[in-house]
Order: sequence, then structure tokens, then C-alpha cells
Amino acid sequence: MAKAANLSKSDLDSSSGSDLSVSSRTSNRSLRVVEKERRKNEAGDPFLLALKYFSEVEAGTPCIGNDVLERNLVQVERVGLSRGLPPEAISVMLDYAMSLRMGGMMCVRVLKFLIPATMVPQEAVVRAVAWLCVSKIAISTQVLFLRWVLTVFDMIDSKDNLRAIYGFIFHFVTEENLSPYICHLLYLLTRRESVRPFRVRKLLDLQTKMGRQPFLLLLLSLYKVFCPELVALALPSRMRSGFKNHNSTWKAALSAVQKRNNSQVSSDISLTLGVKHKTNSRKRKYHHLEVPSLSSSVQRNSPFSSSRKVFPLEQLHTFPQLLDNLHRIELPSQMGSLLGSSLALCYLDYVQDDSAFLRLNFWLGHALHEEFLFCSGDGSSGSSSGALHLLNRLLSTQHFLQEGFSSTEGFLYKFLNVWDGSLLRPQILGLLSGIPVVPSSCINQLLFEPLVQLFFTSTLFFKCSVIDCLNNMLLKWLTWHSVYALEDGLDISFHSHTPMNMTLSGFMDSVVELVRFVGRLSAVGLQLEGCHSLLLSFILDFYETVCDMFLKYGLPLVVMPPVGVFYPALFATDPVSLDRLGYIMYRYKKNLTSAKCQQQETKQAFHISRQTYREFNHYLSFMVSCLWNSKMFLPGMAIEVDQELLSLSKVAEPWTSFDLIHHPAFLGYALDFHHKCWPERKEMDLNSIKAGKQWDWYLEFLFSQGFQGLQQFVQSSITRRSAAGTNDQGQGDRQPTNS
Amino acid sequence: MLNDAVIDYCSLSRFQLHHGKARCSKSTSGCVFFSVMEERSSIVKTSLNNVLAQRKSKSYRRSMRSCVEATNLGYTSGHLTALRIPRSRRTPKSRDITKQVDPDQVALLVKKEWELSYVTPLYQFRHTQLKSYSKHLSAFIVSEKQQGLAIEVGQELGFKVNFSVVLGLAETDEDAETVFIQILSRQVFAAKDDAQKVVWSGWLTCVNGDLEYLRSLPSEFVSLPLLCTRGPESLTVLVKSWFEKTFDCCFGPLGINSTNLQWLAALWIGCHPTINIQYLKLVWTLPTLPPMDVKYTIHPQDAWELWDSVRQDDTTDVSIEEVTRFIKGLQSHFFRHFRIELSAGSLMQVSTALGSSHHSGKIKIASPTYITTILQLLTECALLKMPI
Repeated sequence: MAKAANLSKSDLDSSSGSDLSVSSRTSNRSLRVVEKERRKNEAGDPFLLALKYFSEVEAGTPCIGNDVLERNLVQVERVGLSRGLPPEAISVMLDYAMSLRMGGMMCVRVLKFLIPATMVPQEAVVRAVAWLCVSKIAISTQVLFLRWVLTVFDMIDSKDNLRAIYGFIFHFVTEENLSPYICHLLYLLTRRESVRPFRVRKLLDLQTKMGRQPFLLLLLSLYKVFCPELVALALPSRMRSGFKNHNSTWKAALSAVQKRNNSQVSSDISLTLGVKHKTNSRKRKYHHLEVPSLSSSVQRNSPFSSSRKVFPLEQLHTFPQLLDNLHRIELPSQMGSLLGSSLALCYLDYVQDDSAFLRLNFWLGHALHEEFLFCSGDGSSGSSSGALHLLNRLLSTQHFLQEGFSSTEGFLYKFLNVWDGSLLRPQILGLLSGIPVVPSSCINQLLFEPLVQLFFTSTLFFKCSVIDCLNNMLLKWLTWHSVYALEDGLDISFHSHTPMNMTLSGFMDSVVELVRFVGRLSAVGLQLEGCHSLLLSFILDFYETVCDMFLKYGLPLVVMPPVGVFYPALFATDPVSLDRLGYIMYRYKKNLTSAKCQQQETKQAFHISRQTYREFNHYLSFMVSCLWNSKMFLPGMAIEVDQELLSLSKVAEPWTSFDLIHHPAFLGYALDFHHKCWPERKEMDLNSIKAGKQWDWYLEFLFSQGFQGLQQFVQSSITRRSAAGTNDQGQGDRQPTNS
Repeated sequence: MLNDAVIDYCSLSRFQLHHGKARCSKSTSGCVFFSVMEERSSIVKTSLNNVLAQRKSKSYRRSMRSCVEATNLGYTSGHLTALRIPRSRRTPKSRDITKQVDPDQVALLVKKEWELSYVTPLYQFRHTQLKSYSKHLSAFIVSEKQQGLAIEVGQELGFKVNFSVVLGLAETDEDAETVFIQILSRQVFAAKDDAQKVVWSGWLTCVNGDLEYLRSLPSEFVSLPLLCTRGPESLTVLVKSWFEKTFDCCFGPLGINSTNLQWLAALWIGCHPTINIQYLKLVWTLPTLPPMDVKYTIHPQDAWELWDSVRQDDTTDVSIEEVTRFIKGLQSHFFRHFRIELSAGSLMQVSTALGSSHHSGKIKIASPTYITTILQLLTECALLKMPI
């Protein structure tokens, strides 16, 4: 006990020093402790003396009129209620109280100030339970003790020994006044191994005697979690709230002490089990939309079941728990319930269990088919919120796992054929963008045909969202490729049990199909919508992904946009589109030149076709001569217009009308620039910008307006002759030549 | 029901004439206008193997399945399926199943109307565990009926559940044996020794299920895709919910669409030479306002003659074209008399002395002789509903 007293003193020192500033506390702490200890050993700390008194006081000592007792008691009480008692003090005082050395009155009084400063030693509680078994403690005091245990339960340092005496504690359950508290305590202590048929029977006997008591049902429901083969129980929804708190006596003091000691019991609710309390009011009709609740399965066929050391997912509440029990987690009886819990999904991702995935897919496929394809709940309007909920959850799950479910994919292929394009559009397109790579042999039938129909018969906004969806799809495919290509080397052929292996070329075929498809959609879509800039913006988004496939994702593939996309972007009336086109051309050039370098260096088999280089050069030279050199409508160029027709239009110098100054997208900037350059001029002469330094300034001006894409394009593709002042300022330069 | 047009035993005296015409049209273009919906069911049969045995791990690998699945994408009258829809069937062969199956058990199945559901494969269902399933299901039913009362599993309760195997109904090695479930209830005021009354019964079966599909399932799964139930709805719901919780499966209603009703009519007619079917009764609902039900009863001999005439040859297979032609023949005859185009409506019900079936998913099998043929067709319908 002397050693214990020493230890407790240093504990006390550290807690009493909390009025000092933090820095001094840490620096001077050890010094201070040593000094204080010496001083106190000399003088004798009244608190330690009091503890000593309580540990040594003999049974039968009278308490009425006992001044020594009173003084010591007050001493401990004051410490207890202000700073909390150190573990040793708890141990001493609890033993003192429960042994009834000075009667029941003392016991109650001690229990009331037994506030732990840090933690409660398990042994003290075990000993107290032992006293509970032998001594004649008044029932109300027993209740008080149990309430105290429940209140400080989280602060008990470990629970192994308490679990070892589970049987003794269980014994008290028949005591009518104690059983609510005992049930709660048992609830906190129960492990799978403590659920035994005879205990179940005892509790059921009690149930027949006492009626449907919530505390009994809650304990039994936990038994059902561990051993569903022993007990059947349906909890009424109003009873799912759990046990009451019994901490009223200590609540205020405990929180004050904890606040003071700054050591709150950590409660990490980082990842929560989602769908516990859902509305059960939904009709049976829409039963298939409900995510089932997590519950353990009756069947024990897993390899761990014999060892009885199984951790049901239902009991999983925190991530550390997941890590600790990773090897013995048991999957729930219904895999669909995993959708509601991100923790469980973490586990699912980790186990990679075939049949678990198949079960989940069966459930999910069934729900989707019933809701959207079979439509057995005929009032489809009523279930739409349920469907929305399910799809949103599915989306977030797939997002979490970063992969799509195969049942979703199968469902989507069927659903696209009957979809009207507006029902739950964001969700359906979201799911669609998550489908894995579709082999090029069937991509047309599965994906393109139904999409084309929807695309051309729907509104502008639908068109935009389809392009966006396909862009996301491509991004995901490319990301998968870059991940697995790194993993398996460049040749991605899996020796799996599937009939088809997806080789790199197979994957490339699929990507080419997708890109070409979007190209066709875009070209026609732009025509239909009159080159709407919103649609154009989504299309350019897509080509921003496409132009970087080689450098960003390591896919040796470059696909140029079709003319139906390139020219509308080039002649767009908004500068943003043109700017983005500039950026895209710049990235194309980067990709093509580095592909060429790599090809020459490594002499690898892959090569980008001459046709691609030719197309790129073609676009590039047109862009340069149109924007920079003011050359348009010349024979041999992509856009030829008959001279007579041009003269009929009565536009002066028609070839300049799409250069950087006269281009409708930049005309406003040119006027602005002109005004800033020559504020005094009355007559507008935009051509004067072309002369000399003004042209450089004008470019600077444009770049400063945020046209970074244009800047990159100009800097990468146009080498300028240093001879300033000549009329011919720039020269298109075609770097990546076709070999 | 106000507009019911009830035609009993239409005389088919002028039938030969019409029937000659039917032959004519066959040789040219077949049934043109009839095949609006059903023709879409033509799909290419491809392997479904590996659809299920997919591993989740790598995305590329997983995408294979989608392709495989894709090719057998079918579209039939609003229902989409991944399995093949058969275009021809064997002619029903009369088989005395009482030789293979316990006659007492057969008696439980026949001459009752069953409501049909489909079930996704059962996870870890064991035919050897039926005793413990009985205990669990009865405890589950009682605990659900008395919310908030814990029940010890295995205790004597107001409800008794019997699981039993009906051996011999399975046709192939891949078919799982049929499981029969009975729920008995003790009457409140009954004496101790009184026999308990059967309040609910149901059975799960699989007869001649698609071999490739069944083989592609991992061994932990047992496919018994067809559930027939009889009894109060509340108990059906409880039983289904127990199965869902215990074997992680899903249930859905199984309707019999008009194509399958037509198949049933043809199959039953085909039995006429061996067993007198006594009558062939068809019920159509026409989309008028208010809807008009047409009950069309045909003399079995007339029906048989028509059927015999549309049969192309005496092969053992019956093709969908023959069935369509048969129904079309009946419809044109009706049109000739009443100027009502039955094909504009939908076939709701088919019944003969051998059994009856309803669009909403109800079936009654009166004779055990052709039970496997009927169950095979229903198993097929149920498998077509499987989500994967």
C-alpha cells in the first residue's frame, strides 16, 4: 500500500499543477515532482494519510462521533469532487465502502463521491462485486453501486476479469430491483462465448415472470445478435432506443472533473453505421427498396464459427474496432445491409469474397429490376423517393468502393432501352459513368444504340449531361488503365477464368470506339443545337480528357476531334471556347511530340498512325493561318468558298475576318485595346493593331485577360521572326511532321 | 364484368374453311399481325457461364461479364431478361410421377391453387438442415406475431412448421430437390391431442432448370427459383422475410405473361389424346372502357383438331410459331362471329380440366400426370426473372 500511496501522490501532483502554465508544467514537471515528494514525505500529505486510514481502519469502528473518520472522509471527498480520485484511491475507498466496515451509511456516502480522475482499476470493481455476493448490502445501496459501475464503465481500465465473472453477475439478474441495472451491465460485458442456452432460458423465464421489460429485451436482442440460432425476437420500433442513463448522481461532478483534467473519454464516431433507425412506415409494396438492417446470420458455416470468436458486423462501430477484428468478422445474414455502412464496405473491399459479392449483387439486382424493369409495385409515383434514396446510396457506395457493381451494370444495359431519359437522370447517368470497360465488340449494341436514341430526342441539357457522363466514364477507364498498367506491366492480359482476356489492344479498341462515338454525337449535337456554347463547353471538356491520354494516362493513343467539333470551336463566338481549343491543341501537340520521341527512342511496336499526325497538322496550320496570318478561304484549305460568292457578301477583306483581331470572339477585346492604345483617336482602325509593337502588346493584353490556353498555343506553335516591324508578324510552324 | 361476352362451346362447324386459310397464310408470311410483341423475343443464345462466377477484383476482368451478359440481352413484352426465351418445347409426355414421388406428397401439390413467386438463389441452404429450419421458422413467426417477446428457438409454440423434401420431382442432377413447407396452428380452444390444422403451405422447386445457369452458380448457392404458396398473405410475408434473412435471397411476384399462358394452353391441348381435357377456357381482357372480359370456351375435340392442323409435323417439339398460329386460329374464329378482335386485348386466364393458370401468377395443377411439364415452364419463367 505504501508503494501505491507513492504512485498516487505523483498522480496528484500532476493534476494539482494544472493552474500553472502549460510550458512551465512540462519543463519543470520532473523537478517539481521530486521536490514536492520530498517535502510531503516529511510533512505527510493529509490526503494520503486519509487513504491510509481507510485502508487500515478495522471493521466495527463506530462512525458516529468519530472525528478522525469525519476529517479523513471530508479530505477524500473534497479531492474526489474537485479533482477526481486516482485509481489507487478508488480501489481503497471502494473496498472500504463495499466491505461495510463502518456500515451502510458510510457506503452510500463514499459511493457518491467516488469520481475517478483518470480510470477505475478493474480489480477494484471485481472485488466490489465479490463483496456484493457475500455481504448484506441494502438493495438501494446495491442499486447505487451498480449505477456507479455503469456510469464509470468506460473508465474501467480493462474488462477481461469482469467478463470472467460474467456468471456471477448474471446470477443477480433474478433480483427484481437489480435486474434493470444488471441487464445493462451484462449488455456491456456480453461476448459471444457468454451466450449460453441456459442463460437464454433464464432470461426467457424472467420475461414470462416480469412481462416485456425493455432491459430484458435489449439484452436478449444482443444475445440474438451473437446467437440467432438460440433466440428469436422482433423488437418493436419504439423500443430501439437502448438503455437509460443512470449517471444522474455523478453526472455534474464527473463532467466537472473531466473538464478540469482535460481528459474526456474519447468517443470516436468517425465512420458511422448508417441506416439503423429508418422509417418502418413504408408499405410492404416497396419492400424491395429497403436496405435490410445488419443482422448476424443463423448459419454458422464460416471457418471461424467453431472457434466461437466471431465478431458480428452489427457490433462494429469504429474503425479501430474494424482493424482489431479484421480476422474474425462475420458477414451479416443479408449482404444488402452492407450498403448502409461504410465500415462494412471497407471490410467487404478487404475480404474480396466471391459469394459475398454475388449475394450483394443478387440483392441489388433484384431491387433494381423490381423497381425499374418489372415495376411490380404498380404505383411507381409513390416509390420514386425510395428509388431516389436507393440510387443515391448505390452511387455513394460505388464511389466509396471506386468500382461499379456488376448487377448495376447489367441492369443499366437493360434499362437504357426503356429509359425515357428524364426519370432520375442524374442518378442513372451517374451510375452509367461508373461502368467498367465495355469490350469494343458489344459496346455499340449495349451502350451506343440506346444512348443515340435518347441523345437526339432530348433537350440540350440532356445532351450536355450525356457528354459529361461519357467524359466521366472515359476518365474512369483511363484511371483504371493507368493503375493496372502500372501493376501488370504494359500488357494487360489476365489469366483469369473468363473466356475473354482484355489485352491492351482490346482496351484501346474500346477507348477508340468511345471517343469516336462521342465525336459523332458531338458533331451532330452541335449542328442540332446551333453550336450552343454550353454544349460546346461540355464537348471541349471531353476533348481535354482525350488530348492528354498519352501523357497523363500512359495510353499510346491520340484521337483527334472530328471537323464537326473543331471548326465550331474555332469559329465560336465566345472567347472561352476558343481559348480552350487553344489549350487542347497545345496538349495534343505535347502528346504527339513526346509519343514520337518515345517511339524513336524505344523502337516500340506501338505507333500513332500517320493519319493522326496529318489531321493534327491540318488543324494546326488552319488555326495558325486563320488566327495569326489572316489567311482564309484560299484554295487548298479546309474551308473553300468561291471568290464570287465571297464578293457577293460585300465583306471587305474577308480573309482577315477570323484573325485574332476580327474574330467575333475577340473583337470586343480588340476594340477595348484600341481604345486604350489610342484614347484620343476618333476613328477606329483595327488594322493598326497589326503594326509593329502594337501586335505584341495586343497579345500581351489578350493573355492578361486570362486566355492561358491561347497563350500556350501561341507560344508552342508559333515561332516568331525577330524582325519586328514587317507586316508579316508570324509564321505558322508545323513541328510534329509526319514521318 | 358488365360487358362480359360469354360464349359457351362455340360450334366450330365452319372451322375447316378457316383452317384451310390458316394453312395458306402459313405458307406465305406467317402470322403477321399477331407477332407484334412476341417476335421481339428472338435473341441469340449465348453462354451465361461465368456470369456468376465473376470475381470482383479487377475492373478489366469484371467487364468481361458485362459483355457476355450483353449478348443475351432480350426484350420481351416489357420484361427484360438475361436468359434465353425458348422458341420451342418438347411435347408434354405423360409420366406417372407417383412412381418416383411419394403419392401422399403429390397429393399435397395437386388440385390446389398456388400463388407463384420467384426466388433468387438461396445462400447456404442445406437439405440436411430442414429440422432446424422448422424450429427457427416457427420461432420467427411467433416472435414476429408477438412483437417484443423473445422466443426460445425449439420451444413448443402455437405454430408448428414442417419442412420436408419432395424427392423425385427433380429432373436433372442440377435440379435441387423440391422442399415442401407446412405451417400448422393449434386452435385456441383445442384439446391437447387434437390434430393441428394446416394454415399455410408452400413449396420451393426447380424442374429442368437451365443447366448452364445452375452450373454457373457457386456451390454455396442452391437455386430453387419457383415458390408456390397457399395461405394467408400475412404468413406468406413472414415466411418470405425469414427466408430473406436466413438465406440472403429475394422474392418477387411471378406473373404468367400471355405468351406463357398460350404455351400452357397448347401444352394442355397436346395432352388431349391421352387425357380428356374436357374443355379449353380462355379469358381475354379487352382495353375498352370499361374493360371487357371475354370468356371463350372451346370444345376439347374442336380445339384438338385445330391444334393438330397447325402442327407442322409429328416431331416431339412444339414451336412458338405453332402456338401462335393456334391462338390466332381461335381468335379469327371469334372475330368471324362477333367482330371482336381478341388480339387487341390480353390473355388473362387459361383453364382446362388438367389445370388452370391466371395472368397474375396463380396456377392449379389438377392432374399429376403432366406436372413436370408445367413445372418446367414455370421454372423457366422464374429463372428469367433472376437479376443476374
